Amino acid sequence: MPPESTTTSVVESSPPSFRIQKERTQLLGLTLDECIQGFFGGNALVAVIILGLITFFLFREGSGFFSQNRDNLSIYRLAGLEYVDLGRQPDKDHAALSRYLSDLRRRTYQYYMEEEGLSAKEAGGRLADFDVYADRFARASAPIRSQLMEWGEIANDIKARHLGNQNLAEKRRQLLAAGKTKEAAAVGILPVNFAVEVSAITATLPAYEEATATLARSLEELILAPPPLPTVELTARMARFQTLTRDFIASFPATLESMKKWDASVPVPLSQSFTAFIFGRQWLTASFWQDWYGATPLIAGSMLVSLIALALAIPLGVGAAIYVNQLASPLEQRLIKPAIEFISAIPSVVLGFFGIAVLGEFLRVASGWSFFAWIPGFPFAERLNALTAGCLLGLIAVPTIFTLAEDAINNVPRAFKEASYALGASRLQTIIRIIVPASLSGIVSAILLGLGRVIGETMVVLLCAGNRIAIPDFTAGLGVVTQPVHTMTGIIAQEMGEVEPGGIHYRALFVVGLLLFFIALLINYFAQKIVRKYKVSIG
Amino acid sequence: MTAPFHRYTSRRGFQRRTESTIVWFFRFATYVILLCGVFIIGNICLKGLPAVTGAFRSLEQFPYVTNTFIFEAPESLYVFKHEGVKREMGDAEYRAFRETETARATAEGRPVPEFKASSYVYAAGGIWPCIVGTLLLVVGAMTIALLLGVASAIFLSEYARDGAFVRFIRLAILNLAGVPSIVFGLFGFAMFVLYFNWNVSLMAGWFTLAFMVLPVVITASEEALKAVPKGFREGSLALGATKWQTIRKNVLPYALPGILTSSILGIARVAGETAPIMFTAAYVVRDKLPWEVAKFSDFFFQGVMALPYHIYVVSSKIPQNAYTQRVQYGTAFVFLGLVALIAGSSILLRNKLRGRYQW
Repeated sequence: MPPESTTTSVVESSPPSFRIQKERTQLLGLTLDECIQGFFGGNALVAVIILGLITFFLFREGSGFFSQNRDNLSIYRLAGLEYVDLGRQPDKDHAALSRYLSDLRRRTYQYYMEEEGLSAKEAGGRLADFDVYADRFARASAPIRSQLMEWGEIANDIKARHLGNQNLAEKRRQLLAAGKTKEAAAVGILPVNFAVEVSAITATLPAYEEATATLARSLEELILAPPPLPTVELTARMARFQTLTRDFIASFPATLESMKKWDASVPVPLSQSFTAFIFGRQWLTASFWQDWYGATPLIAGSMLVSLIALALAIPLGVGAAIYVNQLASPLEQRLIKPAIEFISAIPSVVLGFFGIAVLGEFLRVASGWSFFAWIPGFPFAERLNALTAGCLLGLIAVPTIFTLAEDAINNVPRAFKEASYALGASRLQTIIRIIVPASLSGIVSAILLGLGRVIGETMVVLLCAGNRIAIPDFTAGLGVVTQPVHTMTGIIAQEMGEVEPGGIHYRALFVVGLLLFFIALLINYFAQKIVRKYKVSIG
Repeated sequence: MTAPFHRYTSRRGFQRRTESTIVWFFRFATYVILLCGVFIIGNICLKGLPAVTGAFRSLEQFPYVTNTFIFEAPESLYVFKHEGVKREMGDAEYRAFRETETARATAEGRPVPEFKASSYVYAAGGIWPCIVGTLLLVVGAMTIALLLGVASAIFLSEYARDGAFVRFIRLAILNLAGVPSIVFGLFGFAMFVLYFNWNVSLMAGWFTLAFMVLPVVITASEEALKAVPKGFREGSLALGATKWQTIRKNVLPYALPGILTSSILGIARVAGETAPIMFTAAYVVRDKLPWEVAKFSDFFFQGVMALPYHIYVVSSKIPQNAYTQRVQYGTAFVFLGLVALIAGSSILLRNKLRGRYQW
């Protein structure tokens, strides 16, 4: 029986002739209507709950990454891999110089073939001296290379044994948890003494020092007698090569110094795990040497692709919004608006497929036309690159920008326009000086939301961006747009299916997802802030 | 002789010319967008249509006609030369052909023919499991999203007073709308697939997609509820109905068509997204159709093939050539047609409804 409220008992004390109030069903002290309201209110909270759950689960899965990455970096240091990588720097620089030489050879060859009209055989004959020189240069690094090889094997072995130990320890833990003490005791773990093991590497530093000295001597000898080259321009390049080589030789002491100073016992701070993720220049997984989880190439790729998309979508989207709202005839308005809405309904995976099947090839062929020869980076050989993805993403961003910008323009009070006309301004003057400034914040927020749409888009970039994990070479100027890139969304979609849950790679992908989530929230926040400001300005 | 300009007429000068140039730029921008859309859709339709129209086969029994591309499962395509004739066959047909030819050759006492076939995975057969999977995903996800979304919208439009709480909810909805779809995929993978241990399943896909489309449904429903005139509610309340009776009898019935049509746009979004179902619901290939399950409960915990994921697979995992083009363009065409049907009907319905409800 429901508890009776005081009001009903008061009414009942004097015999009622007329009762206006119906007795209400009550549940836990609430009327039915209040229960229903509570039910709907609870449902309204769903959005909040989902947002909370997303944050919670992304953090839950991603949070372990930084400590795991710290372990990863610690092993890198403890097992001496870092030391060997320090020693590898001269070898890498030397390889870069060798590439410079081969580039020089290509240029000289081209000169002989095209300017002097020699046959391939004659040109090769003229370059015989050069080839001998380049060969000697390339071989000069053999001593340090063999030393590095030896070190690499030792370091890799230490790391492999340590990781093996970790696996055994895990196995033992599982056996203990299962109550199999005997089997657990049988799992023998030979602990790795890093300090002793790594000293096998560091002790041979004098040999490495000797090898660099040999390298320096042979290089100095080489740069004194460069082979003669036919033109002034090529000779200047050779001179540049000599300076670069001298700089290279001069960098040896610093390298050796840093190797001498290197100390395996310095612990890796947790902050380095953060910085290695945010600023790390390499995303390298399942490598036999060392895995790196650096998000810079992915962030740079996402930014590049988004910039291309916005560069295309802003003029088109905003221009179309102005045209449809201010200039178009009523018939055009009625047709164009749904048509552009319809474009927004094209699924992104279909656009991605279109990029692979048609657009990529078309852009590659078009880049070869002499008409476009002035554009840096053209012609390009890669069918799938940032430009292909950017064009399609632009088409995805256009309906978003168009719809929101058109709304913003539509919200400008009619009186603004009329006043402008009354003052004698032309149609275009009114649009550019009155309508656009009055709706500018709405347009900007439309662009921001378009950016949010583009950054979060997955399928198009996964299919069309080329998926090369490298920081795009921004020194190429505008030509950077023709390079293949990989993006934050793309890497998650590509690698998530192949990783083992709970592992460092898995967690790294979640951290990328978290980064993406916060970028999206930030963009949303700014878009809303701008819209709020805009409301005030029109008053 | 031209008539002299009246002194108030604006003259054709520099300003006029720039003005018309800029107007032309705006017009150009608009038509470039439309042209791009038309070109993409046209390209896919032109190359994809033959895959569907060329696949009609007559049948012995009842429907008398079928379409092998739409109503069959994907198969590998084998291309080979036999007795000087180049043949293309699906997996099952190829095996049967090989057996009969071998049997024939042995019967005739000839050496057993050699078959050197190059195979293209998924390139033969049809896409029936993908269509079924997509429909199942859409129906389930939209049911969940509509239940949650409409209830949420009823609260926001009928019960809530403007205040910190409601502002908070609205902020959450706005932010939820901006979350990238791949993040929903990650979330669904972590929560439903791993934490709830549902594995790659319909259920996981339903909830992931429903959560993704929720902001669209809430916003659309709220708009539809707001469009019902205040007088309807006031009249009902004045006659002594409770708030809930008013909503049930006098608000929802009038808002329902609006809610449903606007939510169709949400359906198009659910059907079109690939990233959220990549790790939560979609299989690259699955032999059984969804209703071929041992137990009823298994139905909810099975992965399915889905059209968008199939497009991703056939466009990135198999080479582009004349043999694979059929399935690539055909799938894209069917998928685009499905989404266009949904989106087009929503736009048409909305225009029609706008005319009908004039209070």
